[in-house]
Amino acid sequence: MLGRPNLYTAYRQETQFMPTWTQKSVFWVFMALLFLLPFDLPIISHLPIVRFLGDAEWLRPMAKVLVFAVAALGLNLLSGVAGQVSLGHAFFMGVGACAGVFLGGEGGEAFLGHGLPIWIWLPGAGVTAALVGVMVSPVAVRLRGLYLAIVTLGLVFLGIHFGNTSWGRRIAGTPGEGRPFPSLDIRLWKEEKPLVDVSSDGHWLWFDVTEGQKRYFAFLVITVLLAVLAKNLLRTRTGRAMQAIRDRDIAAEVMGVAEFRYKVIAFSVSSFYAGIAGALFAALSNRLLAFEFNLFLSVSFIAVLLIGGAGTTAGPLIGAFFVVMVPEFVEAWTQWLEQAEGGITGALSGLILTSGDDFGVINTAIQTPGWTLSVYDWNVVLFGALIVVFLIAEPLGIFGIWVRVRNYWKRWPFSY
Amino acid sequence: MKLNRRTTVMRIVAVLCALAFVAAACGDDDDGDTDAAPTTAAPADPAADSGDDGDMADDGDDGDMADDGDMADDGDDGDMADDGDMADDGGMADDSDMPAEILTDVGVDVENKVIRVGVNTDLSGAFAPLTTKITDGHTAYWEALNARGGIHGWTVEPVVLDSGYEVPRHLENYEIMAGSGDQSVVMFSTSTGSPHTAAIAEMLVEDDMAAIPLSWSSNWPDPEFGKNVFEVQANYCIEAMNGATYMSETYGDKVAIATFPGEYGEDGAEGVKVAAEALGLDIVYDGQGLAVRDTDLTPVITGIVDSGADWVWLTTNPPTAAQLMGGAAQAGFRGQWSGNSPSWNPALLLTGVAEIADASYTHSTYTVLWGVGEAEGMGEMIDTMREFRPDAPFDDVYIISWIEGYIATQILEQAINNGDLTRAGVLRAAGEITADLKGLAPNQTWSGDPDDIIVRETYLYDVDLSLYTPGVTVSEEGGNNGYRLIKGPYVSDTARDWAYERCVKG
Repeated sequence: MLGRPNLYTAYRQETQFMPTWTQKSVFWVFMALLFLLPFDLPIISHLPIVRFLGDAEWLRPMAKVLVFAVAALGLNLLSGVAGQVSLGHAFFMGVGACAGVFLGGEGGEAFLGHGLPIWIWLPGAGVTAALVGVMVSPVAVRLRGLYLAIVTLGLVFLGIHFGNTSWGRRIAGTPGEGRPFPSLDIRLWKEEKPLVDVSSDGHWLWFDVTEGQKRYFAFLVITVLLAVLAKNLLRTRTGRAMQAIRDRDIAAEVMGVAEFRYKVIAFSVSSFYAGIAGALFAALSNRLLAFEFNLFLSVSFIAVLLIGGAGTTAGPLIGAFFVVMVPEFVEAWTQWLEQAEGGITGALSGLILTSGDDFGVINTAIQTPGWTLSVYDWNVVLFGALIVVFLIAEPLGIFGIWVRVRNYWKRWPFSY
Repeated sequence: MKLNRRTTVMRIVAVLCALAFVAAACGDDDDGDTDAAPTTAAPADPAADSGDDGDMADDGDDGDMADDGDMADDGDDGDMADDGDMADDGGMADDSDMPAEILTDVGVDVENKVIRVGVNTDLSGAFAPLTTKITDGHTAYWEALNARGGIHGWTVEPVVLDSGYEVPRHLENYEIMAGSGDQSVVMFSTSTGSPHTAAIAEMLVEDDMAAIPLSWSSNWPDPEFGKNVFEVQANYCIEAMNGATYMSETYGDKVAIATFPGEYGEDGAEGVKVAAEALGLDIVYDGQGLAVRDTDLTPVITGIVDSGADWVWLTTNPPTAAQLMGGAAQAGFRGQWSGNSPSWNPALLLTGVAEIADASYTHSTYTVLWGVGEAEGMGEMIDTMREFRPDAPFDDVYIISWIEGYIATQILEQAINNGDLTRAGVLRAAGEITADLKGLAPNQTWSGDPDDIIVRETYLYDVDLSLYTPGVTVSEEGGNNGYRLIKGPYVSDTARDWAYERCVKG
């Protein structure tokens, strides 16, 4: 089988978790890279890009990538796999975050909270969001496409309004400052000393680990688990039913796929992911802020899917990395250019950067009165432009580009 | 076969998880031994340190630093210059026999005598049009200060990072600047946004750092909440108390309120309600939280018009204020208007509500304004802006840039005089100073009971269309953004008698 990667003699073979040897090795190499990233190791710390991603200041963006990946995996199951467009993903994230803080947060006069350990509040966040998803899902049976998008859009505003009511504030905190979010420490119950301390610097095995690294590992373990589950779901009866509904819901029903049932499942599983991601998102800031779960957040997950590639498991992961990291890279790159002196980088810096009237595209001045934009404004432009470009030129996203590259080399030298 | 494979994968995942847990459980999580900050004088344990802070504020200096005093007085660069070789982590904190030197840690480039201060602000998000100007003015302030020789020979380099008005990115920037890399800072001269600053408030305490917020929330003076957050000027709540007191004394007892939902709107509305209670005003229309931006404001306008109010208090933004004023005037409302500072922008004098505003708007704010008030700081600011940003628009926001600059400068000056430029030293210095804002706004201090230290003064201006000079730059003479000073610094009886508490409640 090693030499014949595309020869399948049984359906089971074809629907394996990772059918080819290449996929397996790529998976494990990536796993190893991601887990070893934060450490200062001989070879890994000298690979391009990887060499700085593990640095303390890049670990928070990396953790954000993981949160976005979890949320995007969930939206992918709903929109990419089951074909139900949703702009309400941020709402479900908000529900998850609120459930998390309700179960795990410290209660008191101002806030409701039960101070339960993470193994209750984190799954609790997902389950609560999933239940709300189930309640919303009947709408999806009645509506599709644009109309469903508008309805789910309404959820975001309902959520923000709820967070602002006096009752909602007992859970979500005051509108300006929110409320503290429980730490990621693992406790058996409410004991003083946690079983595993994830919220302060410490020592794990033979490594010194900082709080940021611990958070990154915690998020990574959760993301890997959920990604594996999501990928696995695609090869089950449920996954096939959801794809059938996406491709043509009436045809699916004629073939015996229970549309209502699978739409409910799609909504609940997707909301479960969103709930977990929402709790992690708040944990990333150590603070629950209701207004952050807004429409723009929902839209960024649509962007993640469009850019990464909807309908696959790798797509949302690539997309999350791309959407979160590209602005960071552009900023870091500009800073690096700014400091460049002489040589090729110096010349490049002269061409691209400007601080006033000289030639250039990116303005390094803080106030930019002319037509040139600052790097921050360019990032906003870039975000919009990327969505447009990918929709027109590569609807399958970065994953689609990879598929084309792969197919090209598969047939090389006879590819045309 | 399929089953087998699935279990294999699950096994691998299980082993992976088990490994992770074992790894986690094996380690001991003692804070003490992993804290690597060799030259910091600050204790690593946050609990111990909060205890220390208390008596530091009282004694002013710790025992081993008492002999720094005479050196601080000389303040000459001569003996500071040979501090250069102290840059290496020689453990000078331990060595009490060393002659008085400036203690430094991260955030300072000892070799080149550069102090870095953090500006964690919004350059691309919701408030970017305002905050980019403030930040630009603030960097101009430091450029000018450095050109004049800096602070006791130290130059100050602002590290500006964009948060896009997003909390996660604000935290990201915070971690970069609170770290130990080449963008590390000793303090934050700007931290833009209430929720954003709230998200870093606890970390500031852990890291022994001081921050000046670009936020006028009434929560910061609460030591439980904003211990290391050095709020500048009066908060929205007090501002509304002063405004409401003045308006009721001048125009009558019947008041209508229209504010944004959320913390800002509540702070303003609560201030009016405190004044109403104290003065026996009649709130004829309570539109707290009902003015939602970018929506149909007809219900609020109808409410205001039908109430027959003598005056209306707004805690909104300028476009919403214009919508409300225009709509109410069309429906026949002839009352007066005022509101929290961010509700007004002189650019409204170029719109259809110019006449109404000219006749009936009273602008409340926290500082003297450009072209209206005379102050030493105003002269310095105008001269500097003309020299360093000659094409910048004529805008009052630069006053905020300057006030932040003055405070940060005086904190760093005090820290240098104390011989301690570590983060903890700068924080301590921030608690010791009384900031001299050179007439731009009332002087301010931050140590003591909130009731004694909060700023209660605000300034009231009459909006006057005939004085307005749109489109001028800072370099032109005779500019005015359409203001005539009514009174200020002004403290109403209501605000003076008010015992501090948070105006926004959970």
